[in-house]
Amino acid sequence: MQEERFEEMAGDIAVERTVTLPADPGSVWERLTDENLVGDWMEGDVSIDARPGGAITMTPEDGAPVWGTVEEVVPRRRLQWSWRTDDGLPTQVEIELEQVEEGTTLTVRETLLPWTITGLPPQWGGSPFPRASLSVAA
Amino acid sequence: MIPHEVFAALADPTRLEVLSRLADGGPATATELSAAMPISRQAVTKHLAALDAAGLVERHPSGREVRYTFDPEPLGDVVKWAEKVGDTWDQRLGRLSRSVE
Repeated sequence: MQEERFEEMAGDIAVERTVTLPADPGSVWERLTDENLVGDWMEGDVSIDARPGGAITMTPEDGAPVWGTVEEVVPRRRLQWSWRTDDGLPTQVEIELEQVEEGTTLTVRETLLPWTITGLPPQWGGSPFPRASLSVAA
Repeated sequence: MIPHEVFAALADPTRLEVLSRLADGGPATATELSAAMPISRQAVTKHLAALDAAGLVERHPSGREVRYTFDPEPLGDVVKWAEKVGDTWDQRLGRLSRSVE
């Protein structure tokens, strides 16, 4: 079951998907954050250091590497990172898990980061990932 | 490749409002827009320049002023971006779903 929604609001250009998985939030969380499992569903070679400030990189078999920073980690509930996609656009990815009767509902939202937050685009010398927004949750 | 200017232009709420007013209310000058919004004419002019650079407005000189009209063509790139990102997540979530079954 997947719902799709394309939202275009002031300063908030985002894509959202929701899926219900037949597994408990702990198992899903493991697949999101365990380096040995995350590559099974993301593309190519993936490394993730699931701590605020940790690095996330993804090297697809047939594309340019994508790299970024983990921003928020709430085990079994919420994972957020910002990264620069292969076409150079910085985006923020938020994944939320919720336990339901059938298993776990996963909602992912990928938002285009406004340049007002990110500064100048990378090719003009700006830094795509400000550290100021890092938050810690245990 | 997606023009950064289009995203940069849309990512600012005030600039998006300037664009919305042109899209909904028809052609307008910077003076007319600033009268309808709580920002200065100078600020509107700056936003219009960014929208012009992104190809989202067209300039029509009219006497001493310039009238601006909305050009929706570059928005196709935003839709393409959303489709590409959405397709990628559909594939990822499909694999994730199969991996926990």
